[in-house]
Amino acid sequence: MLSILLALAAAPALQNDGPLAIRAKAVWTGGGKVLENAVVVVDNGRIQAVGVDVAIPDGAELVEHDGVLTAGLIALHGATGAVGETRDGTRPALPEGRVGLAVDLRHLDFVALREAGITCILVTPDAAGITGGTTAVVKTAGGTVLRDPAHLSLVFSNEGLSGNTPPTSTSGALALLQNLFAEPRGIVAEARAGKLPCLFEVREREDVRRAIAFAKDKKLNGALHGAALAGEVAGDIKAAGLSVIVPALAIGTPKRTLDAVIRLQKEEIPLGFGLDTPWNHAEALRLSAVMCVRAGLDRQAAWEALTAGAARIAGIEARVGRIERGLDADLVMWSGDPLDVGSVARRVLIGGRSVAAQEEVR
Amino acid sequence: MTTTMTRATGAVTLTTACLCLATAAEAGEGRIAIHVGRIVTMAGPDIEDGTIVIENGRIQSVAKGAKGSWDAEVIERPDLVAFPGWVEAHSSRGMDRANENIEVAPFLDVRDSIDPINFYFEDCLRQGVLAINVQQGNMAAIGGQGRVVKPYGLTIEDMTIRPSSGLKLVATRPGRSRALQVQSLRRAFNELRIHLEKLVQDKKDGKDTARREALFQGRDPDKEENKKGRAMEGTATWKVKDLEGVPRGQVDEKQEPLLRLVEGKMMAFVACDGAISVVQALDIARENGFLANTVLVLEGDAWKAADRIAEAGVPVVLGPTLLYVERDPITGKEVETFVPGVFREKKVRFALQSINASAQSLWFQAASCVGYGIPREEALAAATKVPAEILRLGDRLGSLEAGKDGNVLLLSGDPLAVTTTVQYVVLDGNLVYDRSKDVRVQQIIEGVEQPNAAPASTGDEELDPHSGEKKPKSGPGGKKD
Amino acid sequence: MTAALFTAVLALAAVPVQEPEARAWTIQAERVYTGTGRNMERSIVLVRGGQVSAVTANADEEKERTQDVLRVYAVTAGLVDAGVRVTNWTSVEQSNEVTPNLRVADTLDPFALDWDRLLRSGVTTVLASPLDRNVIGGLGVVLKTAGPETIAARTVKADAVLRGSMGSDPSAGNHPAFGRPTDFYSRRPTTRMGVEWEWRKAFFDTALNHNENDPGRATLVAALQGKLPIFIQAWTTQDIRTAVFLREEVQTRPEFAAAGMNKPRFVIDAAAEAWKEPQLLARSQTGVILPPFPPAGRTRENAFMAWNTAKVLKDQGVAVALSSHGSGDLEQRLSVQAGYAMAGGLTFEEALAAVTSIPAMLLGVQDRVGTIEVGKDADLVLWSGEPFQPGARVVGTIVDGVLRYEGWTAVQGATVER
Repeated sequence: MLSILLALAAAPALQNDGPLAIRAKAVWTGGGKVLENAVVVVDNGRIQAVGVDVAIPDGAELVEHDGVLTAGLIALHGATGAVGETRDGTRPALPEGRVGLAVDLRHLDFVALREAGITCILVTPDAAGITGGTTAVVKTAGGTVLRDPAHLSLVFSNEGLSGNTPPTSTSGALALLQNLFAEPRGIVAEARAGKLPCLFEVREREDVRRAIAFAKDKKLNGALHGAALAGEVAGDIKAAGLSVIVPALAIGTPKRTLDAVIRLQKEEIPLGFGLDTPWNHAEALRLSAVMCVRAGLDRQAAWEALTAGAARIAGIEARVGRIERGLDADLVMWSGDPLDVGSVARRVLIGGRSVAAQEEVR
Repeated sequence: MTTTMTRATGAVTLTTACLCLATAAEAGEGRIAIHVGRIVTMAGPDIEDGTIVIENGRIQSVAKGAKGSWDAEVIERPDLVAFPGWVEAHSSRGMDRANENIEVAPFLDVRDSIDPINFYFEDCLRQGVLAINVQQGNMAAIGGQGRVVKPYGLTIEDMTIRPSSGLKLVATRPGRSRALQVQSLRRAFNELRIHLEKLVQDKKDGKDTARREALFQGRDPDKEENKKGRAMEGTATWKVKDLEGVPRGQVDEKQEPLLRLVEGKMMAFVACDGAISVVQALDIARENGFLANTVLVLEGDAWKAADRIAEAGVPVVLGPTLLYVERDPITGKEVETFVPGVFREKKVRFALQSINASAQSLWFQAASCVGYGIPREEALAAATKVPAEILRLGDRLGSLEAGKDGNVLLLSGDPLAVTTTVQYVVLDGNLVYDRSKDVRVQQIIEGVEQPNAAPASTGDEELDPHSGEKKPKSGPGGKKD
Repeated sequence: MTAALFTAVLALAAVPVQEPEARAWTIQAERVYTGTGRNMERSIVLVRGGQVSAVTANADEEKERTQDVLRVYAVTAGLVDAGVRVTNWTSVEQSNEVTPNLRVADTLDPFALDWDRLLRSGVTTVLASPLDRNVIGGLGVVLKTAGPETIAARTVKADAVLRGSMGSDPSAGNHPAFGRPTDFYSRRPTTRMGVEWEWRKAFFDTALNHNENDPGRATLVAALQGKLPIFIQAWTTQDIRTAVFLREEVQTRPEFAAAGMNKPRFVIDAAAEAWKEPQLLARSQTGVILPPFPPAGRTRENAFMAWNTAKVLKDQGVAVALSSHGSGDLEQRLSVQAGYAMAGGLTFEEALAAVTSIPAMLLGVQDRVGTIEVGKDADLVLWSGEPFQPGARVVGTIVDGVLRYEGWTAVQGATVER
């Protein structure tokens, strides 16, 4: 018997551990494809089938969703669950520091992330010294660490400088970085060998150039984060084959910054959005994308940057980012077009379990 | 207060610096004939090989071949250029402290604060600035009376060219919001009105308070001008009825200067450092009847309100920074605006202020104007004739013409050239400055030698760097110490 | 914009555009001040391929005219400022007071506003140095103030000088260790003698090979051998003397001669009180860069700078360059510093040299910049009147043949035909 559970119910997590089928008015599978009135079958935490004519297995709960169903959003760059643990000021280089060990996966801050439709977040060490350690990708519910270490964080912005401890200057920082990579061991050796991508923390355009030069010299790959105007040196970034994590953009972001993001996309540089939690609210992630779309960014590119593109930058594309058979069932049922600020996440699933639900207001 | 100390040392400096030829000044009767190679009159074409004749402290004639009286002092310098003194239309220097921290104090007067031996005046004389309108600084809402002085004289009275040159009003005060500052200004005039209305009411009620207060303040109720009452005059948008019933002597002396301002009997110098403040200041001036006597003293981006200023027909005194730089919010690049050019275009009369009293004085500002395309005559006028007119002293200062005060600079070259120096200054027909006797300028130009400087090397000897003694020059790898 | 007539807007856009090719220009000027001693009236300077291709009187070379013609009152070579301060605290590694091998070029930002400000005042080549918080701060770089948007592309001479300081800058902010040392500021020198000791230690260690594994050794060796000039900041008389005596010590002590490291070349920057020691500087052949002239005598470190300093030094045969310390203010920019030097007694030619050919020579780039000569870089400043007078201003700046600053208006300053 099919029990029809209204998506409007205020019930907590779906209790049924068996298979789940969701029929949604529109399913965004990723890569720009939209399936109308399609069904997604979920079992054992994974997506089992996606399609218009998919058979609903026996015993499966059927959920009718009068809205859009998408993969969960992926926020790149934040400190949720690890606030206060992301900076070790005792030394400028702590490459072996793993922020993944510091994340409290049950922290209440994750609730806000879930409710905003964010299912994965890249937790990052502060841009301090020349490296604060490695990043980690965690799911926002269920206590899952998807990837740890995900990147080696390397600092090229003035944020890493201090008045009191070395390095106090840009050239001093570069000298320390050269030393670190001169005889690489451990994590640094992995990065040097190209096995571990790097997260280059930058701020000014000239920081971007320095980071690119260093990456070329040491044959590193990865993503740049923190430069609002990175797009103005997009040519250099493209030539280096790096990705860009766009910092969270608030209402009132200057046009020049938004134009810079659009330039990145025009040069076909892989993009993702950072969130910098807890200083920014979880909703700011989707808002960043909306701000860019309003300024002229291609909608599909914006959506990529929130989902599949972000997954690639975080190195987790084999698990999440699209609605595809075999990937984790991290799904969001939106009340409408997710790139419309008026839409909300009605229900969020991670690993097939409902982790957030929001009543419709009559 | 440090005045005692500084006065003592200052007096010593004054006499040893020999800035004034004291005997000549005392004996000088304001009678002198100056023959120079070129006279820049600021009243027509330059006169080559001309003579300026000054009698009784006033210019009698300016012409080629003019002759002075047989016993007049003569300065014969065909290598020099004569020029009228520069006029500083507004300055807050030369006082012991530029600011009083009373919000509304129109009863103060800079006469009580000007320090005749302040180095500022010495520098003004050296640079040829011969008339300075000293006003209170910008840390009040309504400051006191200013005064136009010359940079020479041992007492205020000796220095004064015109007392009570105008009240200082401040529309933008550092450290304060514009709203609060403008409100202070409005409140001051409101309180004046309330005071006057109360006077009228008390008079009608037969109360004696005002008279007693006036006595307490030291005003003589039987003096003619204090006995008469007069209806409120002027163009203010508010009037107090029946003011003629109140003897003027009974108006609180702390409010009385403001009343004169409102009645259009006094000038106002209003400091504004932004376009918004300009608009607010003009509104307040209009409402309170003193727009016709207003001079704006501008800084910052006040030039953006040039249209409004042109409409209101008030002259302006520009701040020391002539090049306004701001960042374009879209491109992030810096954009420069040459402020005097904006006012020239809008046909607003503008006077210049010096950057400092020493090396970058009014001549520097006028020269910068020429650099940015303002015709030479207008640039020179902005630091001579125009400030004189703005100060209502256009009949006495600003040019070398018969009838004007006998103030002349003798320059070593063109007034706007960087290598030109002021060689002599004649004030009211007396020679008061001779550069060759100015010890301090020699110190600035040539430095002050110290007793333990390294002595000159004669070539065969050199100094031992460790002992400082002379020894014969040694070759490379010379003897070890 | 109502004030358009008097607004000078820069020609560069924010979003980087395709680099313009070095243009060909014909510049007709009433006065061409070449800086070589040969000045010309009503002449033409031809620019091609980023270099000056000809300097001739009007009548000749008409057939070589280019399409773009600029008419202006006067032309000089682009000004050279060897003492700009365009760096901040991020340019000096203070965890170690002697860091000879760190390169300030790594810390410069081509997008900074300082470059455009310098361009507008006619400065085309500068020496950028680390901030003087270290005893020996690192390697300065000579670069143009405009060009492609990378430091590397603008560099004229990389690692051009070794920069350091005497006096109180390297010791300001340091403190003795009270109780436990809390940070490295307690280890750094706190007095002038401490600063001087660091210099001598660095030099002696190099000569005696005590710093074999130090990354800065090679730089110090080159400096002591005279291959790399040492620019040392010294405002007051005592600091100038200390610097000169230090050099003489290196020249005379046997430790240095034995190691072949006894020929250092010093240039003293910000030598405000150099007027007190002209003979000392002359006999040691030390070049000098002066700071901006203070209006009334006293300047930083309470040093007293006489206005005839440049003349006094020149008369003693000391090479003197002027500097604005990077200011764009009308009363402090480099062009007006030259005017002040003239007020202090220099002739126009001498003042011109002090802001063009002499600093170029001190920096070792005189074969490329500093004068208007055929074959040199086309770095030119266009003036509305006699250069260095406050009554004239910079109306255009050309760097490597490209017009980088257009400051003239429709009615004043210059005219151009394209």
